[in-house]
Amino acid sequence: MSTNNVVDERIAKFKNKGKDLAKLREKRIIECVQLRKAHKNESFLKRRNITLSSLPDEEALSPENDTVSFRIEDIIKDVNSDDREAQTRGSQAARKLLSKSHDPPIKEIIDAGLLSRFVSFLSMDDEPTLQFEAAWALTNIASGTSWHTRQVVEHGAVTAFINLLASPMLHISEQAVWALGNIAGDGTAYRDVLIECNVISALLARISPDTPVGYLRNLTWTLSNLCRNKNPCPPLCAVQQMLPSLIQLLHLSDTDIVSDACWAISYLSDGSNDRIDVVVRTGIVPRLVELMNNKELCVMTPALRSIGNIVSGSDLHTQMAIDAGVLDVLPKLLRHPKPTMQKEAAWALSNIAAGPCKQIQQLITCGLLPPLVEVLRNGDFKTQKEAVWAVTNLTSGGTVEQVVNLVQSGALEAIINLLLVKDAKVILVILEAVNNMFMAAEKLGETEKLSLLIEELGGLERIEMLQNHSNEIVYQAAHNLIEKYFSD
Amino acid sequence: MFITDIRKNFYDVVANQRVALLVAADIDALCACKILQALFHCDQIQYTLVPVTGWQDLSTAFLEHKEQFRYFVLINCGANVDLLEMLQPDDDSIFFICDTHRPVDVVNVYNDTQIKLLIKQDDDLGVPAYDDIFRDDEDGGDSGNESDEGSEPSGKRRRFDEGAIERRIERQRAKREWEARRREILFDYEQYEYHGTSAAMIFFELAWVLTKDTKDMLWWAIIGLTDQWVHDKITHMKYVSDIATMQRHVSRHNHRNEDEENSLSIDCMRISFEYDLRLTLYQHWSLYESICNSYYTACCFKLWTLKGQKKLQEFLADMGLPLRQVKQKFNSMDITIKENLRDVIEESSNKYGMKDIRIQTFGVHFGFKNRFLASDMVHAAAALLESTEKEQNDTTDNFIKALNSLSRNNLDCLKAGIDLAKKKLIAIQQTVASCICTNLILSQGPFLYCYLMEGTPDVKLFSKPLALTLLCKYLLKAFVHSTRNKRCKLLPLIMAAPKDVEKGTVIVVGIPPDSETSDKKNFFGRAFEKAAESTSSRTLHDHFDTSIIELKTEDRSKFLDALITLLS
Repeated sequence: MSTNNVVDERIAKFKNKGKDLAKLREKRIIECVQLRKAHKNESFLKRRNITLSSLPDEEALSPENDTVSFRIEDIIKDVNSDDREAQTRGSQAARKLLSKSHDPPIKEIIDAGLLSRFVSFLSMDDEPTLQFEAAWALTNIASGTSWHTRQVVEHGAVTAFINLLASPMLHISEQAVWALGNIAGDGTAYRDVLIECNVISALLARISPDTPVGYLRNLTWTLSNLCRNKNPCPPLCAVQQMLPSLIQLLHLSDTDIVSDACWAISYLSDGSNDRIDVVVRTGIVPRLVELMNNKELCVMTPALRSIGNIVSGSDLHTQMAIDAGVLDVLPKLLRHPKPTMQKEAAWALSNIAAGPCKQIQQLITCGLLPPLVEVLRNGDFKTQKEAVWAVTNLTSGGTVEQVVNLVQSGALEAIINLLLVKDAKVILVILEAVNNMFMAAEKLGETEKLSLLIEELGGLERIEMLQNHSNEIVYQAAHNLIEKYFSD
Repeated sequence: MFITDIRKNFYDVVANQRVALLVAADIDALCACKILQALFHCDQIQYTLVPVTGWQDLSTAFLEHKEQFRYFVLINCGANVDLLEMLQPDDDSIFFICDTHRPVDVVNVYNDTQIKLLIKQDDDLGVPAYDDIFRDDEDGGDSGNESDEGSEPSGKRRRFDEGAIERRIERQRAKREWEARRREILFDYEQYEYHGTSAAMIFFELAWVLTKDTKDMLWWAIIGLTDQWVHDKITHMKYVSDIATMQRHVSRHNHRNEDEENSLSIDCMRISFEYDLRLTLYQHWSLYESICNSYYTACCFKLWTLKGQKKLQEFLADMGLPLRQVKQKFNSMDITIKENLRDVIEESSNKYGMKDIRIQTFGVHFGFKNRFLASDMVHAAAALLESTEKEQNDTTDNFIKALNSLSRNNLDCLKAGIDLAKKKLIAIQQTVASCICTNLILSQGPFLYCYLMEGTPDVKLFSKPLALTLLCKYLLKAFVHSTRNKRCKLLPLIMAAPKDVEKGTVIVVGIPPDSETSDKKNFFGRAFEKAAESTSSRTLHDHFDTSIIELKTEDRSKFLDALITLLS
């Protein structure tokens, strides 16, 4: 009987019907394929070094790659010719080269001196095809490094593109939107150059109920780039100019649009309290809280980021978020499968815990302590760090009852367990929380009870150990605690 | 992957390692094994030899040895399945596969790390191009801005080619087309089973490259090649061209030893090219018995008929050989008769329509007395390998005996093998005669079918794959000679014989149609798999040849029905 089983098992093995084998095979095939891929890319690159004429992957599939030459010399000749047809052909070839997914020859095109030609094509309103090809080519060049973007800007593309926004041809206008987005995304300098050139009103003029979704997506993204980056923040007047439209976009149903609009809000709310104030006063907070509940991660993330920024503002700002129901959403986010979501949620929570006792009480009433303790125990380290801050903030601003509540929920045990981590900063924050708890206990006359509890939880041993810590401040903090509460 | 430099990429790699040799149960594999063993002895490479008779055996052998060994050499097994999937080895196990089975599994071909194929690339392999069967699903999304979901959008975005959606649809369509094409290509590639260059020849070439080749090795390579001919694995063309290759080596060796004194000593070994008779074992039998039990003559005369027997007598009379001489041991035949016997026989054979009574082959002399043809060695070793004499019939024991019979210092063993081979050939001939006379071969439409019932004489012998394959070949030839139905002459044959009475299983073998120009490509492997699948018959596809399977006796009829439907 038993030998039969052995045989059966073996047969099962060799018949490879087992399901877990599938994974192994997958792994193996992936490895095999990767090896091959490496080989292939290698030979591919070699081939490409000889001539630029190899068709990009994308082209192989598209039916319309008739007789266009992809040799860079031909492109230069065509683009520089006086013949419209040749110019169009050359621009299209250049654009196609720049649109292939792998290793586009941006540098080569710039070095060939084609940029001024492309920029001049942008203003040829009677040659829409040429306009479009040039706009696309420049868009892709501007998508490269900062140096690449600078070449585009220095050839005078900014005003040309802003003028192009008004093109009656929607796809050309959209291409201009995209190109401007790339320029704005390069950094604060070009962002503000664009703003100076009145790009915002030109962009906003294109928003209408009839604007196609695809166009709006690009436009929203470009707006978000105009809100992006700090030091300095975008000019306040520009922000105020954009906000109404952003709010409008935030209420649409398209995920990509809402996501980018939300990111724009998160950039604008990432700043000093007066900046937050500008955002909050638009009345957008309830919508943001609603979007934290969205099923799409790409919406949830910037919504949570925005709310996190807002609750880091004044108590008034925080209260607006609480009133909008943020405390009802946070438990779910603290339990989100993605660690980054947990971290952001814990960060927001730590800021709410830093508020007055009224807000702390709301936090406790809404049941935030159990998920907080959960992430203290099981979250990834970055999340735990934020959660530790939440504990410390609560112990420093909360009432005695609130601190007792916190200890009873298991937070003390959880932070004691975290005393083993390497990060000195985290240890200091934990020791401060412990100290705060003792101060609350003193008010109740129960320091000894707390000392006993900490000893039982293994905390005393760990705090004693910390007196050997290489960090002087950690040593001091640990030493003080021992002196004060455990010396008898 | 295919190894191009067998010395550098195989021999030098294993040179200072312990190696596990997993050897299949066929004569070519044994010969290859002998050559490799000799090389390993020469260079003091440690190895462990494990005979394997099927996939289960191979898996067990691997499991038992994977801890101690990193390098595995597989001889005549392993090439035609996805070996890594079957064995699930750790990443550091390396497999060197020297296998004649074709087609080679594509994963084996394109695995660069663990699978090293010792297979000649000039063999007619026809492996599909990598890009036709594997596809790197690169770049996931293609609209450029689909970075990790939920992370901050990129500050800059490049615009890829027109209409991402259009392109995606186009891509999906292209992908479906590609997949359909892939299926087609793989179907074409895997449809037929056939055999490539002898494993023994591959290892002989290695020895030659290492300049360590000896006459013994050369002889084993010749036996390996002859095994492919005897067991009908390669085309006549391939046989003749490989014989030519071997002949070059033979002349080289003979030339090298010409001036040496020991050219005629008691322990000398001399290999010679022969244009010899296609009469099996005739030098160790009587001429008469050999003629009766060689399929070529037996089929031409139709010896299973009275008329055929009479024809044989006429033939002998035509040669002018006295019956007494013909029926006595060849060794004891009159020396004057023996002198130009081959020419005499050839002349009369031509008259009787046997134009191919002679064939290019090799013979060997051990000392003065012992002379063997390559085919003698094959038959002897095969008989030992599948011996059913002893009650326990232990496969490892048989394997060792067969292996030993190939060494020239084990002539007793070889002679015992020859005796067994004679019995086997007689049994085959008798079975062929009785199958033809009792019309046991049935035309099933797309193929011929013959079932050996339990209780048929010598049925135990035919539970073994090599013996049954040989029987199949002889039977089909005989049938083609005896039937008047022209259509039937072009059909392949399936034979079933009892395998294990207690378990209630039969062994089933399928062979391609018999013809002069046959490409020896066998489509039964795939067909068996499909038929078993569609009827959920209880089959065991354990043999390295996919055209040999085991089947539950009760499932035989539904399996056959499915096969008929499938191939019609």
